[in-house]
Amino acid sequence: MFWGKTRRVETMLSEYFDRCDSCFEQFERAFEIYFDEGPETSFDDAVQGVHRAEAASDDLRREIEYLLYGKALLPESRGDLLGLLETFDKLPNIAETVAFLFSCQRMTLPEDLHPAYKGLLRVNVESYRLARRTVDTVMTNPKATLYATKDVENKESESDRLERDLIRSIYSRDMPMGDKLALKEAVLLIGTISDRAERLADRVAIIAIKRQI
Amino acid sequence: MWQVLSGVFLGWSLGSNDASNVFGTAVASRMVRFWTAAVLCSVFVILGAMLEGGAGMETYAKLLDNQSNPNLAFAVGLAAAITVTVMSYLALPVSTSQAVVGAMVLVGVMESTLDTGSLTKVVLCWVGTPIGAAACTVVFYFVLGKLMNRANLTMFAYDRYIRWGLIGAGSYGAYALGANNVANVTGPFVGEGMLTVTQACALGSVSIALGVLTYSRKVMMTVGRDLVQLDAFTALVAILSEAVTVHIYAIIGVPVSTSQAIVGAVLGVGLIKGVRTIQMKTLAKILFGWVGTPAISAGIAWLCYIGLGKAGML
Repeated sequence: MFWGKTRRVETMLSEYFDRCDSCFEQFERAFEIYFDEGPETSFDDAVQGVHRAEAASDDLRREIEYLLYGKALLPESRGDLLGLLETFDKLPNIAETVAFLFSCQRMTLPEDLHPAYKGLLRVNVESYRLARRTVDTVMTNPKATLYATKDVENKESESDRLERDLIRSIYSRDMPMGDKLALKEAVLLIGTISDRAERLADRVAIIAIKRQI
Repeated sequence: MWQVLSGVFLGWSLGSNDASNVFGTAVASRMVRFWTAAVLCSVFVILGAMLEGGAGMETYAKLLDNQSNPNLAFAVGLAAAITVTVMSYLALPVSTSQAVVGAMVLVGVMESTLDTGSLTKVVLCWVGTPIGAAACTVVFYFVLGKLMNRANLTMFAYDRYIRWGLIGAGSYGAYALGANNVANVTGPFVGEGMLTVTQACALGSVSIALGVLTYSRKVMMTVGRDLVQLDAFTALVAILSEAVTVHIYAIIGVPVSTSQAIVGAVLGVGLIKGVRTIQMKTLAKILFGWVGTPAISAGIAWLCYIGLGKAGML
């Protein structure tokens, strides 16, 4: 009588997080192809996969939001979940944006910068996974949430360091300014993933702290 | 027997007002449908009145010593009902208990039948209601808070516990409301020997339930929204404190105000959290309840008394 909507929200939320995970898996696969084959047709197909996964997570997010606006849960839990969804949604969004940047602009990276870009991508995908873990933690063991958020913070700092090194390396090269700007844009956009992951972890921490009386 | 109609009217207005103090939060936040809350509230009001409503009846019976004019009970019920209805219409804080006692004191003074001992007991309990509720809030806040922290509840589990808690506390509050406040409705008629305690409990509780079922939605939404502005946990603590306080007074046998109890409980939250603005507003509400409501009700009772005298019914 009272809890039907709550259970549905729980189930749909878990499905939503799985869809976001799938989006990041597609994102990783797409960049494996990119570094193996360059911005060719198979990379474009993989980017389409990222886009489809992002769209699927968006559809489900909207459904959850409608359910929450339909007064499932207590008002404060409702507000926290809506905020969490809004913040979480920005992660698959930025993954899609990064993938489209490389695909639409047919971006080619200097061969010697591949390891640095790969490293930056790896750290940012890890920051997503760590942020995702904070969400799992707040849903299963809230007291451990603050420790989990610390890991995301550290990963974001690592990403910042890599971004600075990479931008320094780009601007020390002898190449047209337009190319430098394009490469820098890619660096900053990839780095946005860990920024958003950190923002998500902060929100999760607030959710956990709010429930400590 | 037609005189008991004023009691039924008073019961109806009490039900339409005071249900908001126990189920307002749950209904206003839409976690319980109005009809579910109204039915739960009605059932528990009747249960409370039938099982524990007798003690308050006896206190009212003593308040007007050796009185045996049914028209005076009618005047008391009518004055209190008009006071509650008009003040509710004007959205002013109102306490049925204080309205009834204000009217009874006026009648007692006019007829020289006022038992000051019982009146002192009642007035002391009025002062004790918000203070007791505030003290309960402080205790429950820390005890329940510690238990919930230790339980390490997830967001959904926390939500579920709080919601069950609000429904449980609301039902208990409705029980306490019935046990305590039924005397306000039909107590004066027991004093006049028109009804037995059981008859008075049954008639009073059914009329309260009728008020809950027919006219409480609007007040529930208004009061509930104010309480929802507290977080869910403190709202639960406030309702539980109100219920426990009102129930204790039901056991002692003194009808007190659920509105004053909830205001006291919210004041307790303010004390814990240090919100000064709430405290001033709530203090003003409490003081008005102690002085304003009985004074207005006594004024209306005086008019009824004069009217009955002129009609040769005294």
